[in-house]
This record gives sequence, structure tokens and C-alpha cells, in this order.
Amino acid sequence: MTPSASTPPPAPPPGHDPDRRSFLRSSAAFAGLTALAASLSPLRELGDYTSTEQFLQKYYKEMTPEDMKKVLRRITNEVERQYGIRPHVRDLRPMDGVEFVYALNLTRCIGCRKCVHACVAENNQSRSPEIQYIRVLKMPHGSMDVDKGNHTYDDKDVPDPGYFYMPIQCQQCKNPPCVKVCPVNATWQEKDGITVIDYDWCIGCRYCEAACPYWARRFNFTKPEIPKDRLNPEMSYLGNRPRKQGVMEKCHFCIQRTRAGRYPACLEVCPVGARKFGNILDPESEISYILRTKRIFIQLKEEMGTSPRFFYYFDK
Amino acid sequence: MTGSIRIKWCLGALVLGFVGLAAAFLGDLWGHPPAHQQIALVDKSFLEQTPWRRTYADMVRAKEDMSDFDCYGCHDQKKPPPLRFDKNSILIVPEEHKDIVMGHGSHNRNNLCYNCHNESNLLTFQVRDGRELKFADSSQLCGSCHGPNYRDWEAGAHGRINGYWNTSLGAARKLDCANCHNPHNPHIPTRKPAPGPHALRTPVYEYQASRAPNP
Repeated sequence: MTPSASTPPPAPPPGHDPDRRSFLRSSAAFAGLTALAASLSPLRELGDYTSTEQFLQKYYKEMTPEDMKKVLRRITNEVERQYGIRPHVRDLRPMDGVEFVYALNLTRCIGCRKCVHACVAENNQSRSPEIQYIRVLKMPHGSMDVDKGNHTYDDKDVPDPGYFYMPIQCQQCKNPPCVKVCPVNATWQEKDGITVIDYDWCIGCRYCEAACPYWARRFNFTKPEIPKDRLNPEMSYLGNRPRKQGVMEKCHFCIQRTRAGRYPACLEVCPVGARKFGNILDPESEISYILRTKRIFIQLKEEMGTSPRFFYYFDK
Repeated sequence: MTGSIRIKWCLGALVLGFVGLAAAFLGDLWGHPPAHQQIALVDKSFLEQTPWRRTYADMVRAKEDMSDFDCYGCHDQKKPPPLRFDKNSILIVPEEHKDIVMGHGSHNRNNLCYNCHNESNLLTFQVRDGRELKFADSSQLCGSCHGPNYRDWEAGAHGRINGYWNTSLGAARKLDCANCHNPHNPHIPTRKPAPGPHALRTPVYEYQASRAPNP
């Protein structure tokens, strides 16, 4: 249209419409850049997996209190962005003179699975796909062979006569095989006996899952899904803060509760009082009383030499 | 000249490629990976920590209407209500107390009102050693017969405790016997379990499920 279309385009004089060629060129460049940006758009979701701050974060045991404050602030903001709820994230340290021990009364357990779901609610596990730390085995009377147990039982009423129920979760071993195999020291035993995982340090190799004789460790194969109205905002760094895809998790004796002096969630919800928890170093605690006076039947798979801090006992 | 044309073609092809990619991403042409099976959330009743039963002490604490426990609204203060038995000498529960199921113990020897209730003052319990107890102190009454369990309960090994294991940081609440056991029929009833884990429906699991001891 313009007379100068066939000549090399001079710079258009100010105030003039640009000629067709330079219009086409610039619009093509613009479209190209837009398309480039759009084609990289899946990278935006990368922020859900890891942020720069998290990527540069130090190892838990090397963090100064200031570092930890920064990290807790980052986690608070991330959770708020993702779930719209401002959580209360803390980093609770072990108390002095405290070693946690769990005992479970097999005479009392009725297999109602309330502990399983109270644990999921307390510890912000993924609901879909489902991650549960506790497995309740339904076992025929007269045997302690876990291979005979069935954990997908779907009875109308429990307890079923002729069976007993044995919940299994992380045994918080004194000699934990999972800690030994971790190639990056992302899991370790704290001095109050809880084996913890730093979810920001875990590389997701799943060696620990293979090493655990109790099937206590769970892996986030996909991005965990937690409905907003089921999120527990009371969180701790080594405990129940939301995990991301590709990391390991497991029972940590409800670290966010027990290190603040409270009972674990599975214990509080147990309708028959089969679950007992406390400080073994305190001779007055109920757990010391139980280990002193009751028939402690097993530490599960005792022969593995893992020395669990989780005891099964009988009343009668 | 041919070189610059080639460059132009290359650039054009690149732009086209990016436009195509962008269109594909924005239009989500290949679709997201199929959503995994949606698992129903567990019913919130399974997350409740409230005990199965409420005791007299709970009702007093909650300042509820206690008129149901006013025994002398119906009974005569002077003369204790008589017990009636059928021909098998089994206690007949009167029409007014039809909600009470008598099933204390596997035998029938303990299904007698005045083993625990005080016939001379229906507002209290009587212990076999002659003590008189308030309704709110029912656990001590249970302990007068069930010694070992009472000892365990006092030590915290039997029954439920909620709250704080470290009592210097907060209060612990020890539940009473009657929070879990119905004193007239103390055996804990069976109930519906919470849903089990969603088994991956692989042949192995179905094989195991088919061999499970319970149908």
C-alpha cells in the first residue's frame, strides 16, 4: 500500500504509520516471544515443587535459630498460598530427660481403625492418593504371625469373635535400619527417641522404605492432596507440615503434640484406651508402670535387632 | 541472499513451532494425566474424641437438667422400692426403668439393684464395706469389686486419659469407668469400623482378599 514497499525500509518518520514489512516483522517477533513464554508455561508449576529459598536451604542440624526462623516463615507463606489458611509452624526440640515409649494393649484393641484416621487428620497426610501411617491387622487367635494378618478387613461390626487386632506403625527403633541406609542423612534419631525426617533434605530414593521391617514408611508418589477444611494448622517442621511430591514420610509420634506435652492423636481418639504413651525415664509415668507390671508380649520382629520403642502387651 | 532467506525460514519455522506448542499447552491438547480415583473423605464421626457414654459427673459439670436423677420424685423416701423376680429368680425390670438392660457379668448373680444402689438413700451408692458414695464417685464403687482393674486405672494403664502426658504443661483428663462401660451392662458393644485402606486393585491384592480369613 505504501509507495516505499519495495525499497529497503527506512526508519519511518516520527508520527507516521509503520510500513507493512516492519509491522509484520515486529508482530511476528512479538508472537514468537509470546509463544515462547507460553510454551514454557508448565515451568510455572515448578514453583510448587521447590522454591529457590528451599533449594538453597541448609541442613536441619546446621541451621542457626535465624535460619530456622526464615525457613518457618517460608513454610508459613507457602502453606497459606496453597491452602488459604495461615498455619502455626514451629520447630519443637526434644525435652531434656524425656524418652518416648509407646505401648499397645492387644487385649483391648477392637480394630475400629479410629486411630488410623485420627492420625491422617492430625498429620496432614494426603487423602488422595491415600497415605496412612497406621495399619490395623486382623489376626486369628492363637498366632502372632503377621503374615496371617489381614489389613483390608471390611466387617460390619468389630471386634469379630475369634480374632484380635494389631495396629502397626513406626516402631521408633533404638537401632533404626532406615537411618543407616539414608544416603543423605535426611532421617535421624533424635535424643527423645523419635526418628524424624527432614522433608526438605530427602531425595526420595526410598532406601529407608526398603530397609524398614515394619512397612512404616510411606512415599509421596504424587502431589499430596489435602482438602482445605481438613488441614491441621498446628504444624511443626519435622512433623506434620505438608509434604511435597517425591519425599518420604512416616509416623513421628505426633511430634507437634508430644513435644508440647500432649498425647499423640491416635491415643486420644482410641475409644477403648488400648494405646498408652509416655516418658520411660519418668518412673511415675503410666508407661513405666505398664512395662514394670504387664505381660509385655512382643517387640515386633524382635529378632531383627531393631529394638523398637513400641511395645505390645496383654492385660490378662 | 540465500543465507538470509534460510535464516528467515528457520526463524519462521521456530516461531510456528512455538506457536504450535503454546496452542497445545494452552488448549491442553493431550489432556492431563488421568485423575486418580477420588477417595471419599472419612466420616468426621470417626475422628471424634468424645467418650461413648456420658456420666453423671459429666452432666453435673455441664450443668445439665438433672431432674431424671431425682429418684424421690417417684419413689417413697420412707420405704425402699421392692425388687420383683420371675419364676427363674431373674430380676424383673419395672416398666419405668425399661431402658436399663441388666447384664453385669456372665452369670446372673450381680443383676440386683441394691448391690450398688443404696436402698435407704436412692441418691447414693452403697459399697459392700459400708461406705456411701455419691453418683459422681462411681469409679470407686466399681473399684470395690474390680480391684486389679481399678489399680491399673489409677496408675493410668486401664482406660482412657486425654490431654497432656506432661502434667506440668497442661491438664490430663482421666475418664471414669462409666464413660466407657455401661454399669448395668458393662461389656463394650461391637461397632462399625472406620473404612480400611484403599487396596490397589492388583491381582495380588484380590488374590489375598479372596483368601482373607473373613468373607
